[in-house]
Formats: sequence, C-alpha cells, structure tokens
Amino acid sequence: MLTRDRVGGVALLLFAVVVMWEDRAFPLGSVTKPGPGYMPMLLAGILAAMALLVIWTGGRSPALGSLGWSEWRHAVAILAGCVFAALALERIGYRLTVILLVAFLLWVVERKRPVVTMAVALGLSLGTFYVFSTLLKVPLPLGPGEF
Amino acid sequence: MFETLQNLGHGFAIAASPGVLVYAFAGCVIGTLVGMLPGVGPLAGISLLLPASYGLSATTALVMLAGIYYGAMYGGSTTSILMRIPGEAASVMTCIDGYAMTRKGRAGPALAIAAVGSYIAGTASIVGLMLLAPPLAAFALSFGPSEYVALLLLGLTVLAYMSGGSVPKSLAMAALGLLLGMIGIDPMSGYFRFSYGLVELGDGIGIVPVAVGLFGVSEILLTAGQAETPQVIKPKLRDLLPSREEWRDAAGPVGRGTILGFLIGIVPGSAHIIASFVSYAVERRVSKHPERFGHGAVEGVAGPESANNSATSGALVPMLALGVPSGPIPAVMMAAMMVHGVSPGPMLIQQQPELFWGVIASMYVGNLVLLILNLPLVGLFVNLLRIPYPLLYPAILVFSVVGVYAVNGSVVDVWIMAVMGALGYLLRKLDFETAPIVLGLVLAPMLEMSLRQALALSSGSYAIFVTRPISASMLCVALALLLLSLRPLVARGADWRRRLGLLEGPVVGEEEKR
Amino acid sequence: MKRRDLVVLLVCVLAMPLIAQAQDFPTRPINVVAPFPPGGQADLMARPTAAAMEKILKSPVVVVNKTGAAGAVGMAFVANSKPDGYTLLMALSSISIIPEADKLFDRKPAYTMDQLVPIALVSADPTILVCRSERPWKSVKELVDDAKKRPEGISYSSSGIYGTLHMAMEMLIHSAGIKMKHVPYGGAAPALTALLGGHVDCMASGPAVVLPHIKAGKLRPLAGWGEKRLAVLPELPTLKELGYDAEFYIWAGMFAPKGTPEPIMKKLRDTVRAAMQDPDFKAALDKMETPIAYLDAPEFQKFWDKDAKMLADAIKRVGKIEETK
Repeated sequence: MLTRDRVGGVALLLFAVVVMWEDRAFPLGSVTKPGPGYMPMLLAGILAAMALLVIWTGGRSPALGSLGWSEWRHAVAILAGCVFAALALERIGYRLTVILLVAFLLWVVERKRPVVTMAVALGLSLGTFYVFSTLLKVPLPLGPGEF
Repeated sequence: MFETLQNLGHGFAIAASPGVLVYAFAGCVIGTLVGMLPGVGPLAGISLLLPASYGLSATTALVMLAGIYYGAMYGGSTTSILMRIPGEAASVMTCIDGYAMTRKGRAGPALAIAAVGSYIAGTASIVGLMLLAPPLAAFALSFGPSEYVALLLLGLTVLAYMSGGSVPKSLAMAALGLLLGMIGIDPMSGYFRFSYGLVELGDGIGIVPVAVGLFGVSEILLTAGQAETPQVIKPKLRDLLPSREEWRDAAGPVGRGTILGFLIGIVPGSAHIIASFVSYAVERRVSKHPERFGHGAVEGVAGPESANNSATSGALVPMLALGVPSGPIPAVMMAAMMVHGVSPGPMLIQQQPELFWGVIASMYVGNLVLLILNLPLVGLFVNLLRIPYPLLYPAILVFSVVGVYAVNGSVVDVWIMAVMGALGYLLRKLDFETAPIVLGLVLAPMLEMSLRQALALSSGSYAIFVTRPISASMLCVALALLLLSLRPLVARGADWRRRLGLLEGPVVGEEEKR
Repeated sequence: MKRRDLVVLLVCVLAMPLIAQAQDFPTRPINVVAPFPPGGQADLMARPTAAAMEKILKSPVVVVNKTGAAGAVGMAFVANSKPDGYTLLMALSSISIIPEADKLFDRKPAYTMDQLVPIALVSADPTILVCRSERPWKSVKELVDDAKKRPEGISYSSSGIYGTLHMAMEMLIHSAGIKMKHVPYGGAAPALTALLGGHVDCMASGPAVVLPHIKAGKLRPLAGWGEKRLAVLPELPTLKELGYDAEFYIWAGMFAPKGTPEPIMKKLRDTVRAAMQDPDFKAALDKMETPIAYLDAPEFQKFWDKDAKMLADAIKRVGKIEETK
C-alpha cells in the first residue's frame, strides 16, 4: 500500500544511500580521530535508520492517493518563476527580471488585467530596486544598458 | 551597586543627548525595516551600514549598530507572523504558531505580544548585561570544545520536544538538516565536501536561503493555487489587542524565554536561532496544553520572540566585557570599534566607561523606542493582509528573492531558496516537519567541529566529555531529557502520549490536511 | 628619416586609444572587491584605501564584499572579471594559499595566482606568538624546550587548516624541529577566544587584535614573525633574531586581473601611491594600530613571489593531514 509516510521514507532512504555513496571519496578516519567523511557517513546512517522506521510504521498514514494536488499547476508555475529569476538575475539584471517575473505571475498565472499587471510589476521592480540598491547600497545586478 | 547606578545615570545623560538619540532612533528604525525584509537579518543590516558608521564617533556608531541589531529582532517577527516568511533566521520558530494565529484572525495579538515580549526580554536582559557582564563573560570563556558538544547535543535532544508528529519523522528531518550542514569546506581537514565544484558552496548552504525557501516559498507554493485563498478577516480594533487570557498565557513564556535566551546568547558561537528553538521546546514541554502548539499557541510566539531578543544582549556580554566576539554580529561591531581606535578588550569597561554605559543606556532607550514604534504599526501591518492574496504573493516572492540575494550577492543562494522551496512543498505534503531541518543545518557544522576539536585536544580520548564538569553535567541533562521523551513510547496509555504531544496527529504547522 | 617618422606617427596613432583610455579612466565607479565579510581584515584595509583613492581620482571607488570559502569566492570573481581596471581586489596573504591547497586536493583551482597582477602592497603585519600569561613559558626557547620534552603536549589554535595562522606556526614548528598539537577553529576570532579561555596553549595572531589583551595582562607575547621588531611592541624579539627561519606577514595588497592595460595599471599604481600619503588614510590606519607598509608593484611582485613560495613549501610539508598520522 502506497501511503504518504512510505513514499517519504523511501525517498529519504534513497537520499541517504546516495550520500553514503558520494561520501566514499573522503577519508573516514576513526572513532578517535574522525576524518572529513566520518560525520556525513554517520548522519546518513541515522537518516537511513529513521527512514526505515518511518517506512515500517508508515502503514497507518493516509494513502498516497488521498493527497490533494489541486494547486500543482500554480506551484509548478511559481517554481518555474523562481528558476527563471535565478537564471536571469545576473544576465538581464534585477529590474528586468522582476518585471518579467511579476508580469508572468500576475498575467499568465493569475489572469489579472494587463493594466494592473504592468502597474504592479513596474512598481515592485523599481520600488524594491530603489530601497535595496539606492537606500541600502546593496549591489543588485544591472542588465543591458545599465538598467 | 550605587556606583553602577551612578554610571548608568551618566550613560543616560550621554544616550539622551540629541546627537546620540537621533542615531539610536535611526538604528532602531533601520533595524526594524531590515528585519522585516525576508531573509535580510541583523548581520546583513549591520554590514550594510557599517561603512556609514565610520564617519560617526565611536559611541554613536556603536549605538546605531546596536540599534540595528536588536531592531532587526523586533522586525523579524512581523513577516514571520503575517506571512510565514522568516524575517531573519532566528524568527523561524515564530513562523509556526505566529502564522497559525494569523489564520485564526489573531494576527494583531500575535504581533502585539511579540513586540511586548521582545521589549520585556530586551530590557531585562540589558540589566543582566549591565550588572553581570564580567563574571558571565568569564564563565562563557570556560566553554571549550567539549562543552560545546554537550550543549549542542542538548540542543538536539530538545528536538524531541519540538515535534507534534511522529518522532522518527522529526529525527529524519533533523538528520537531513545535519547532512545539509556537512556541505562546504571542512575546517579540520581542508576538504571541500559535497560542493561539486561550486566555490560559493565553500561555506556551506546558507541558513537564510534555506529558512526563506523552506518556510516562505513553500507556503506560497502550497497556498497560491488553492481554490479558496486565505480569507482576510477584517480586523476590528478590539481584535488587534490580545485578550486577557492571551496576556496571562504569554507571561510565563516571556519570563522563561528571557532567561534562556540570555544564557544561550552569552555562549560564544551559539546562534540566536538556537535560543528560539530551545524556548519553543521548553514552552511546549511545560505547557498544560501542548496540543495547542502548531495551531496558534500564544506561548509559541511569546517564548521564542523573547528568547531571541534577550540573546542579542547576551551576545554582547563577551564582546563588551572581554573583547571576545561571540558571533559574526559582535565581530562586526568590534571591527567598527577598532576603526574608531577603540580596542575592545578586558579593559574596555574601565577605560571607556562613556562608551560602555552610553551603549547600555541607549539600549534601554532603543527598546522603548521600538515598542512605541511597533505597537501602533500592528494595525497597519494587519491591514496589509487585506491585499488579495493573488496580488500579495508575487510581492512576497520578489522580496524573498532580493532578500536572499542581498545577503551574499550570490545567485547560488537564490537557487538554494528555490530548491528548498520545492523540497518544503513536498515535505509538507507528506506531513514531514521542516523546522528540524533548519535546526540541524545550524547545529551540524558547530557540532562536528567541536567534536573533532575536543578529540584533537584529548588525543582521541572520549573521556574528556565526562571529566570536565560543565560538559558532564550538560550531557547528563541531555540524557535525562532524552529518556523522558522516550518514556511515553514505552509506557502504555494513549493519554500519556497525547499529553506530551507525541501522538501521531496534526503535525506542527499544519492545521488542515492539504 | 621619413620612415622612422612614419613609424613614430603610427605608434602614436595606435597608442592614442590607450592613452585616451588612461586619461579618461575612470569613467565609472571602480569596484574594490574585499573577499571577506565586513569588519574583516581585508574590509578594514579596503575602505580607507578606497576612500583615499576616491579623493585622488575624484571618481567613486566602492568597496564590494564578496565573501565565501575563506576568500576564494571574491578572489576568483576578480580573477575572472574583465581586465578593464574597474574591478580590483584587496586581498590578504591567503591569496597564495588557496591555489596551493587546491593543488593538494587535486581540485580544479578557483583561480590561479597568475590570473592576478599586483598593484601595490598596503600593509604587512607580522604575526606574533602569544600564550596565556598563566602558562610558564617566558620565552620562545622555553616553549620550544618544553615541546621537545613532550611532543604533541603543547596545543595551538588557528583560524583553520592551511590558513595564514596555521602556516605561520608551521614555519616555526618546522624550523625548531618540534611537534605541536594543532586545533583548527573556524576563524581567527574563535581561535583567539579559545586561547583566552585557556583551551589551547598558544597561537600565532595578528598583532592588532591581541594588543588589548597583552596590555591587560591576559596574554603574553613571546616573539614576532617579522624581519624587524614591531613598533607597538619594541621589546618583543623576532624569531629571526632568535635563530629560527620563520618570517610571515598578514599582508593586504591590491590586485587587478591580468591583462589590464599598462596605462591604466600605471594610473592605479600612482593613485595608490598617492593614497598612502593621504592624511585621512594615515589617520585611519593609525587608529587601527596597523602600520603602513607600502610597496609598489615591482617590489610587491617580488615580495609576493617569495611569500608564495614559502607558503607553498609549508603547505606541501603539512600535506593532507589524513596521511601524516
């Protein structure tokens, strides 16, 4: 039976195994003189043990199918927006990135009117740039044409 | 005693002088604003304004920087309570019950109690700073690697009390957080662990992008697409103030949080976030209604908020009394002092009494200023919630991105935020708690380094942990707490488990099944 | 005659853009990258320097903190940036350590030293050896003798493995032929805290941070790593005087990416040279009790090469700690 806990537990177990695999590059040392690989191995072991416990007792948790994913489209879109921001921030500059991000979220995802979208996008972009870059002197990346 | 009061009076004279007062006020305001911005915390705020402080006199500069420091602690709770985004790393615990209170329409009381609790804690802890600085600082210095290991293990066992859901799940999350803390340069051997060629990961995954992503972004991901977006409960004035019952419930946590935060703050190297975690766990343990935690328990806001404010005074104790920086923020303040030709050291209090007492007095004034500033703003902030959610969350997202980027100027942090946001989304869907991850991330590097340092000093012998008195006693307490927490798993009777909140059920932070 | 004139004319014409560049330079704000957090040594050096340069150039010179990986992030950033004179680096002696450490671990180096060209050295503080005043050693000789009697019996703290403070101690240890217990910490401040708390026996430290503790009687200085004695501690002997081959400075210098045009480099060097004379700059360094130790680019390059070689040798000697035990 696929329950929520079981799925989570299996994912964590896999992660622990991957960590242990990656950790083999580092010398383990000994109990009295732990090397760089010691703690990660120990912690991965604890994670694996806990994951197994979770899987074992996981039968009682609600079934996986009962999870509601109704908001997944929005979630994926927002996440895509974050990825875009990370990619674009130092390439096209802060203000342009924010304008595009907000416009995407408001117009495409939330289906707001273009006027509202542009107003909020410009306001947020220029406003936050002013607060952070001009007032707080935080260096924010500039885009083409020093924008 | 009389001499202390005399000195304090002298200090007040300095603090109340217009030149100094203006900067104290400016520092507090800037600190509050900086604290409110997601992710940007006191360290970022102080670092940003450090150059501006070079032109001021030593006392004024320190007063302003200190104002930013505890001001940020006040401001950090605002976004945590209203939008479940940690204003700064230490406010992570406030997110949990604070936001739950907001959802119940009690945003105003949450903000008010946070402000008042912070004021009481801030002011009381300054008294401690004033009277007990030198002996406390000497005690703090006696904390060596083995004491740190004991203290941090104690912090980890506290985890068992933090959880409302199943213990294996919380421990798994803690292990995950601890593993994430392993990324970066290992200071004991020089190896770059798990950094995959990214130089920016050399110092590890930052706590700020993880906290903002795991709590704030995941909340947006979960809520934005919901059919019914969070209902905005139009607040009436009556609803802005805490009820008598809420005040009563908050009193104990504020007191305990103050003492706890102060003590934890004194220990060099501990972070404020530890103070708020421990306070949350303690409150949950001593509460008569532990099941309320996670669903809007006032204690869950009052305790951590007080703890992290009094931790700021605690952190200043070693710095002012001995010239020892107990963390990155006091280190920056010490640098500011050095630039002005004031050498922080054991003789500071004697040689520069105007500086010391002036700063202390300004801290009293500053805390009062912040209380007066924050309380009326409660109404303003709660009205922010009336903005329809589809318009609000893009703004929150933008602030999160810029706040996270501003800390280090690195896009890698934005990536981490995005990844942790997705991770937080999945974990909360599967009923795993996310708070232990943050605790693990903070504790892991310190725990590992202290363990290896202790073993290096003892040439591999584990006896060092039990032969040194402080570490031995802390380990005993940790063991006792661990056994206590496991007892219900052994004892029969569901009501035992229910009473201690260890029964499977609604997880911390979740009110509705999504 | 005519052909030579033509050649000269051609050279002048071709050089015009370069000269014009140098004359116009700077047209934008210059960024000086400090690869350590605000309040750190690099930052404290960079700000007065930048302020003085700004006065001379009459154009903004901004300090930018790019922290991470013990400075590697900021250093790599400048090494890889456009060599147009607008991105400079204020680095500490650790600049020579990081590529060596990378080599030791077979890592792709974040940057290499030949990606950076020195402009000038600004300050050079020799490290000093300090121990707690309760400890019995009154001189380096006593410490060394004690260490010989009980190998690994004396502990020292450092700011991190392969860090500047570790390397300084390493040179002394190697020269004196002793073995000491190394306890790395995550930075100079925690290392000092540990010493003050009595958890380790001694450490090598920059002089400015320990001076107040020495004056208060909590710490005792034993020797300095400089070639000459320190002005603030004139009775403190140097290790060289005592017969040990150990010389180490925590220096701060300004660098530019390799390939920066010569006229711009010349202008930057002139500016820094003038900045050293600026009264505000002198006053700022005075307040920090850090003496100015100015070296222009050619001498600085020699200094840097010598220093880098010493550090490289020390790093190779230490090796990977997992293999030495």
